[in-house]
Amino acid sequence: MSIFRSEDHVLRWTRANGHEIGALVPLAQVWRLAKAWYADPRRRDWRARNRDESQAVIASVGLTGAFWELPR
Amino acid sequence: MEGIDSVALRIFVYDDIIAAGRPPSVAAIAMRFGTSPAIAREALANLKIGKTILVDPRSGEIWMAGPFAAAETPYRVVGEKREWWANCAWDMFGVAMIVNERVRVETRCTDCGAPMTILSDPSTAPTEDAVVHFLVPARRWYDDIGFT
Repeated sequence: MSIFRSEDHVLRWTRANGHEIGALVPLAQVWRLAKAWYADPRRRDWRARNRDESQAVIASVGLTGAFWELPR
Repeated sequence: MEGIDSVALRIFVYDDIIAAGRPPSVAAIAMRFGTSPAIAREALANLKIGKTILVDPRSGEIWMAGPFAAAETPYRVVGEKREWWANCAWDMFGVAMIVNERVRVETRCTDCGAPMTILSDPSTAPTEDAVVHFLVPARRWYDDIGFT
């Protein structure tokens, strides 16, 4: 997950490096994803999420569709 | 010698990385828990907490403790008193959430290398005009976490 100044820079970088474009996500949406995803691992009751819980977190910030499907 | 409690180990790793900016070494973990480096290495490798803490397969040292990186990356997260390295543009916000303070991320555009500064606060979304590119689809995120 790499940061770019704009979509134009993503297009230029993917072309130059022979990559397909994946998904472009605005910075504020990535912030919302991080906020939903990361709990403090210093808490004793912290636990790893299972696959479906992680998928629900991703969907909760509006990231849905085939690109965002975690492996089953 | 006794093994290491996995919860105590996880908490020690994150306490240390948040305080020092880098994860503890195998030697430091062994010293903290009064055990041998071999047992500390084994305890780290056996931490069953998803993909959160990953160790270098050769050295056994912590390679990443999500969202923190053990080594320098393009995402330098500067807090009030400490600074950390994040693994990626998603994790730079994850660091802000976990340390729970306003941070300044110093990074560069992946394409042109222009310096970028992102202000991140756990309670306020960033306003900078930038975009994050997810190159790898979610179904392949964990095939090669370093590349992802």
